Amino acid sequence: MTTNPSQTSTKRPPSPSILNTSPKKSKPSSPQTMTADTPPTASSFPLPKILTNPSSTPPLLITQGAESRLYKSTYLTPSTPCALKYRPPKPWRHATLDSRLRKARTTAEAKVLEKCHRQGVPVPAVYGMDITQGWMAIEWIDGIPVRVAINSHLNNPQQNDESGIKNLLKQIGEAIGNLHKIGIIHGDLTTSNMMLNPENQVILIDFGLAAQSQSDEDRAVDLYVLERAFMSTHPRAEKEFGLVLEAYAQTFKKGKSVLTKLEDVRMRGRKKSMIG
Amino acid sequence: MDLTAHPNRIALGLEGSANKLGIGVILHTGSSLDPSTSTVLSNIRHTFVSPPGTGFLPKDTAKHHRSFLVRIAKQALSAANVSISQIDCICYTKGPGMGAPLTSVAIGARTLSLLWNKPLVGVNHCVGHIEMGRAITGASHPVVLYVSGGNTQVIAYAEQRYRIFGEALDIAVGNCLDRFARTIEISNDPAPGYNIEQLAKQGGRVLLDLPYAVKGMDCSFSGILTRADELAAHMKKGGKAPDGEPITPADLCFSLQETVFSMLVEITERAMAHVGSNQVLIVGGVGCNERLQEMMGAMAADRGGSVYATDERFCIDNGIMIAHAGLLAYETGFQTPIEESTCTQRFRTDEVLVKWRK
Amino acid sequence: MALERLSIENVPSTHRVYAALFRDVSNSAFLQEQLLSRNPEFEYAFLDASSIISRIHLLAAIFNAINTQTNDALKTPNVHSEVVLSLSPSNNISEAYRRWGVTPDKTKGLIAVKIVVTAEEEEEITAKKVWEHLSQHVQGTPIPLSDEELSKATDWPKVKKYYKLNGVPVLDKFKDEDLKKKQMQNLILMGMAVRGL
Repeated sequence: MTTNPSQTSTKRPPSPSILNTSPKKSKPSSPQTMTADTPPTASSFPLPKILTNPSSTPPLLITQGAESRLYKSTYLTPSTPCALKYRPPKPWRHATLDSRLRKARTTAEAKVLEKCHRQGVPVPAVYGMDITQGWMAIEWIDGIPVRVAINSHLNNPQQNDESGIKNLLKQIGEAIGNLHKIGIIHGDLTTSNMMLNPENQVILIDFGLAAQSQSDEDRAVDLYVLERAFMSTHPRAEKEFGLVLEAYAQTFKKGKSVLTKLEDVRMRGRKKSMIG
Repeated sequence: MDLTAHPNRIALGLEGSANKLGIGVILHTGSSLDPSTSTVLSNIRHTFVSPPGTGFLPKDTAKHHRSFLVRIAKQALSAANVSISQIDCICYTKGPGMGAPLTSVAIGARTLSLLWNKPLVGVNHCVGHIEMGRAITGASHPVVLYVSGGNTQVIAYAEQRYRIFGEALDIAVGNCLDRFARTIEISNDPAPGYNIEQLAKQGGRVLLDLPYAVKGMDCSFSGILTRADELAAHMKKGGKAPDGEPITPADLCFSLQETVFSMLVEITERAMAHVGSNQVLIVGGVGCNERLQEMMGAMAADRGGSVYATDERFCIDNGIMIAHAGLLAYETGFQTPIEESTCTQRFRTDEVLVKWRK
Repeated sequence: MALERLSIENVPSTHRVYAALFRDVSNSAFLQEQLLSRNPEFEYAFLDASSIISRIHLLAAIFNAINTQTNDALKTPNVHSEVVLSLSPSNNISEAYRRWGVTPDKTKGLIAVKIVVTAEEEEEITAKKVWEHLSQHVQGTPIPLSDEELSKATDWPKVKKYYKLNGVPVLDKFKDEDLKKKQMQNLILMGMAVRGL
């Protein structure tokens, strides 16, 4: 057995060590809701080249997701709104890995959307894409994120709202059931990645991490990702999540065995905290 | 006891959930409801290092902690220059961690509690990391990436809990790195991850293809480890990289780091986008890695925010974080009665009621 | 003048696009011959209107071709032939020419597309020249390039075969003909977008 000398730091006031050059300002702490809609912080992002070309309306940055930015623009004609999803290069990632990931994801996403569309699972249509530049123009979906819809139900506990939220959760389960039925795994299910359109229909969006798979394991992990995102995003609706799974199993015949698998996946998740 | 009338509060903290034994003393001054200043009075650590190619076994680690506990406790007290009467409570790691070493340290904490007649406070190890990280860096509402040999979690605070948004679905990232260090038989002194980092700095000629496994805010590392081990075996037989040159340990360490850190940055960024935060706090032993900090910093800057990280004194398991998080809980009236002062291998971060935050 | 200047969103300002639709074209063999012999005076995309369903369909192909050109990634000799390839959901170039390009004797409805890059002269002059040349060489009746005229020319069974739209589950969901057509258009655009992936 060898040991290394102990490290001491005695009577030293805590020294802040901030690794970033940007000045740290202590902002007044904002209300700690997990659902804060942050407007994109920098409107000064360089636009993808395609959006620097003339168009009838200037591009509008809608969200800065983890790996992509979503702009509202127009496709071909001024009367066809579209969402332009752009995966910018990530300079901190190794260039080889970066280009491999961006191409693979844009390609996979487009293929999955096409498959969903052909099979009748409501998702945005792909209008055009460019895997070299890393963008994809897709159909613009009107409406609000399901996350916002759920929270507005939770914040307005009126009499009708119980059925409203239940119906919404049921629709989520159905949408995922239909998706899994055609052999697609979403890969990033959260209530932010679903829209509630003006016809009150839940539409799954953001298939950036989607994959094709028929395995119960992959399906169960897909649900587990949603379950955890749901619990952390909507802690107050935690008890209602069962409705999602119920509707899932009703929509998708093989869903029961997926739910059994989900139990395993959950257990694995817990076991991991064994070692400190 | 009315803590609000108590302007100075001091806690002793004992940590030993893995191969580090750490004991520290912290001082909180100001209103106990909103401690205005935390001062580290001492922070002593002693690490059990196993030979190259091996990991640390619970039995040997527990023995190490038992052998050193008294010595390190004395050092911590004398370095802090506080008398036993000034100490308000004894804080210890309740879990998660390895059973045998946790038990050794819990016994030590109970002994001190009975000997000195001080209340005990059991602390969640992960919450210790988070609270210490917040105190040191001043990050107010960060997304926390907790990366160590046993844990890989992306955490954010909401409604009195540290909620886990994403985590490794199989082995922890630190475990992946440690095990790979064993595969290529590099030294565990001072830490296997540190030595991988140094080797990786010599790499960069090629990026070897490793699986990239991100699922939403979760990720998995066992497939990467398997592939990296295969590449290491390939290297030992004189295998070549795609550019025709022989594969070197540096190439492997570089490729492994670039791949797994990209995954960590990605899941952290996804959580930031999800909760609408632009601060990241990195805690846990792997958080010392400068390449990880650099990548995370670039990502955060791109989002108009910044990364907060601590140096090895606070990143690597230590006693002061247990003292600090324990004292925060103690100030809200929390105590662990001696008959309940157990420890547990499983203790999820989100099980702790975080009463000291709004 | 039946030549229309097409304005397409997000196309570089360096490009101008003109197009005209003709029906009852009688010299398609001659027109194809000019393309095959690479006659520099015939830098056009000549499309068979029966394979096109709408203006959006046409614009999408032009847009994709121009984008490919600006990426320096043309798979065919020039931006005009690239328009033809852009209409195809597969990477088979000769098949694309056969299906969407002008075909001797078969092509009766013809769409002529002219893409002009960095034209320094006045737009009116360019348009006038293009139209003079086209009206001189295309033997057919110029008609407005409208959705209405285009849909009259569409050979649906052919289009459905080309874009694999037969037996697609989503199309059974729509009873309303307009909605169904919208769905088909989306599927066509998607087929073009993911070409060869």
